[in-house]
Amino acid sequence: MNERGQLYTIEGVAAGLIMLLTAYMIVGATTVYTPGDAHISDMQLEVLGSDALTMMDTPANSTVAESPLRQMIENDSYGGGQFKSMFMNYTNASGYGPVHNIQFSANYSYVNYPVDNSIQTGWINSSRSLTGGEHAVRVTKWVIVYKQLPGDTKIENRAVLVEVLLWRD
Amino acid sequence: MARLNDDAQWIILMGFLVSFSLFFLALIINQSTVVGQTTAESVIEFPKDDIRDICHVIQEDAGNNGGYGDRVYLDIVNLSLQRKDAIVNFSLSTISTRGSTTDARNYSMIHYNNGVTIYNENWTSY
Repeated sequence: MNERGQLYTIEGVAAGLIMLLTAYMIVGATTVYTPGDAHISDMQLEVLGSDALTMMDTPANSTVAESPLRQMIENDSYGGGQFKSMFMNYTNASGYGPVHNIQFSANYSYVNYPVDNSIQTGWINSSRSLTGGEHAVRVTKWVIVYKQLPGDTKIENRAVLVEVLLWRD
Repeated sequence: MARLNDDAQWIILMGFLVSFSLFFLALIINQSTVVGQTTAESVIEFPKDDIRDICHVIQEDAGNNGGYGDRVYLDIVNLSLQRKDAIVNFSLSTISTRGSTTDARNYSMIHYNNGVTIYNENWTSY
């Protein structure tokens, strides 16, 4: 029997085993795969919503001291419908030409002062009611209002946080 | 070893060394959890709009003659903590004299921390 090259055979078998084991371990590693374009639409929606709210919080011209958003919260009797038309125009969800299928739900948060300093929510408007299945992003805007908020004892400057949930359907 | 050709043992040894090092690299990968973060995710995570907004509202408060510890201050601190998960603090004061001349300026130190991003600003109105 020809016994030449036995060491090569042993080496080959050992190397093969090690390579198999290596491959097995790499395949078995826990890997969470994230596609590169996973969050681009979320980012765009957030930027669009932030820009729309910033535009709404800018006074129309130099002679008007208060921004439209501030006026809407100070007079919530007619603010809701105005907010809806303005916000949907700015996010191109309504108006002329091709429109986005963007939906929103907006409210504002305030501190319940001087009752218990809890956070209360005032309703603004929505284009559709929430079902819980939306993949929404949240954009916010700080507004200082001169208003007697519910619970407060007098009219004074208060900071409220306008919160808008945005999603595509 | 009888009739065995034992030339080139170094080459065989090196081969084993290389394969063992590959094996240990695989072991390290196996023990770690690999996750990906996209560029867009980082953009969402960085609170650029929040910081600009908080600075804007504080400057507006300064324009309304607001001050440290007043109602607007407490509203901002409270709401930031509970609705924006961010610790916000700021001072608001007026520098009335500058040298020998009277010169009213609003002065604010703004601190923002949401656990990921920390931002400090030293702002003076001109």
